Amino acid sequence: MILAHFLTASNESNSFLVACEATREAFLVDAGAFEPAMSEFIDANRLTLKTIFITHGHYDHTDGLDGLIARYHPRIVAGQTPCAGHKADVVRHGDTVSVGNLKGTVLATPGHTPDMVCLHFDRMVFTGDALFAGSVGGTSAAAAAQQQLDAIRNHIFTLPPETELHTGHGPSSTVAIESQFNPFFVD
Amino acid sequence: MTTFAQLAANDRDSLIKALREGRGKGALLCNVDLSECDLQGVDLSEARLSRANLQGANLTKANLRGAFLDWANLRNASLTDACMEFAVLGAADLSDADCSGADLRRSNMVGIKAQRTLFRDAQLYYSRPGNGNFREADFSGADVQRAIFRRANLAGANLSKTTGTANFDQANLEGVTR
Repeated sequence: MILAHFLTASNESNSFLVACEATREAFLVDAGAFEPAMSEFIDANRLTLKTIFITHGHYDHTDGLDGLIARYHPRIVAGQTPCAGHKADVVRHGDTVSVGNLKGTVLATPGHTPDMVCLHFDRMVFTGDALFAGSVGGTSAAAAAQQQLDAIRNHIFTLPPETELHTGHGPSSTVAIESQFNPFFVD
Repeated sequence: MTTFAQLAANDRDSLIKALREGRGKGALLCNVDLSECDLQGVDLSEARLSRANLQGANLTKANLRGAFLDWANLRNASLTDACMEFAVLGAADLSDADCSGADLRRSNMVGIKAQRTLFRDAQLYYSRPGNGNFREADFSGADVQRAIFRRANLAGANLSKTTGTANFDQANLEGVTR
């Protein structure tokens, strides 16, 4: 597996590119901006961007879609359609997303937005704005906040403790760190 | 780019040699024992060093950008002027370590143990030190803009001459020097 991280200029959101070493097919998680470093990386490593997985439709995770679609014509996968004005293949909890020999599983984590989705591979999860290092995504109501905490506990904290969490903003983390020390989950 | 690979080394000396030759980027080095090693200036960016023993190691000016050092033992390590932007230091033990001048922007320090650790003139912009133990740590001159110290223990810490606005919600600020 090839993994690359891009810090975008759109509200300092993160994008992650994952590629299959065997087929050179790649997918991007979130697209807050179409940073020059993305195309440089894709071209330099002779990758084919097949899919863009959008965790949720906020501008700082989607503003780069126009440019990326125009250049690479990828399939858009999200928890909603349209997604930032683009037709998307809608995925639900438990669905599989495949690129090359890589297969990920969709985890529904509503709260920050009603259709928020994360993507899980065998040893990493892309959490978007559901879960951050030492924090969680902002919500508009107490019920949504509780829904988000429950989804994280049930779908993410049940994964192996060494599972890496790659977040929509700020640093990455692990299941063990967040389940034991995140102030929103521990007393 | 990271293509994760186990760094082939038969023994500790071979491993240190490989790291000094620049083969540490993205290396899988979980649980490795590199205590008291001189690793000044080595590139360990994006390496997986979870639970590694780096006690007393010299990592001055090392590149640890995006490295995973969760639960690592970094007690008494020298990390002066090291790059740890986006590094995952959650639950690591940096007690009595020297991080003066280090780049810790956007680093994960959730649940870190950093008693008496020196962060003088360090950059902690947008870092996540929530629930960390920073008792008697020295942050003098550090940039703490947007750092989130939620529920951190900063008792007796030196926060004099820090710049920027940090989040200290529910933090223990007893005896802090400002």
